[in-house]
Amino acid sequence: MRLGKVIGKLVLSTQEPAYAGGRWLIVSPLGKDQYQNPRIRRISEIYSVVVYDNLGAREGDIVGFVEGTEATAPFEHPMPIDAINAAIIDSFQYSPLT
Amino acid sequence: MMHCRIDGTVVSTVCHPSLKGWRLVICQPVDDTGKDQGQPVLAIDPFHAGLHQHVFITTDGIGTRHRVHDDRSPLRNMVMGIIDD
Repeated sequence: MRLGKVIGKLVLSTQEPAYAGGRWLIVSPLGKDQYQNPRIRRISEIYSVVVYDNLGAREGDIVGFVEGTEATAPFEHPMPIDAINAAIIDSFQYSPLT
Repeated sequence: MMHCRIDGTVVSTVCHPSLKGWRLVICQPVDDTGKDQGQPVLAIDPFHAGLHQHVFITTDGIGTRHRVHDDRSPLRNMVMGIIDD
């Protein structure tokens, strides 16, 4: 799981039938300086990820998203997704060993 | 298995039910000399490792799902043990 900041939403007009009722977020993974200061507005240079979401995260929230086959675990039917929102983060303490 | 150092903790109330009650920690992957290697990842921690303690985490979802007794859980990283030295 990685932390990321929600920077946008995505609406699909034509989509996979398995995605019916799905909600998509554009999430920018937090880099080291975003971890140290979550309130800075500059997002990290890491590639942004489109994350499937059923927890109701809004823009500006920090979410924990999971990538890989584990992202399809919560679904009964086969679901072609890469990343899912597993947690909306309330707060985190980060004190690296510099 | 990844050799990591615990650099922080995370609090989340709205999350997948399988995460409820588990301690979420920020793990910074390190190499054998202790230097940072890449970006931090999150993991659940059954052993309550302390801050800046060295642990190794698994990135295999099957073992983690078995540990949280929920085979619908999207969890992947879990602390497997605390490294003494």
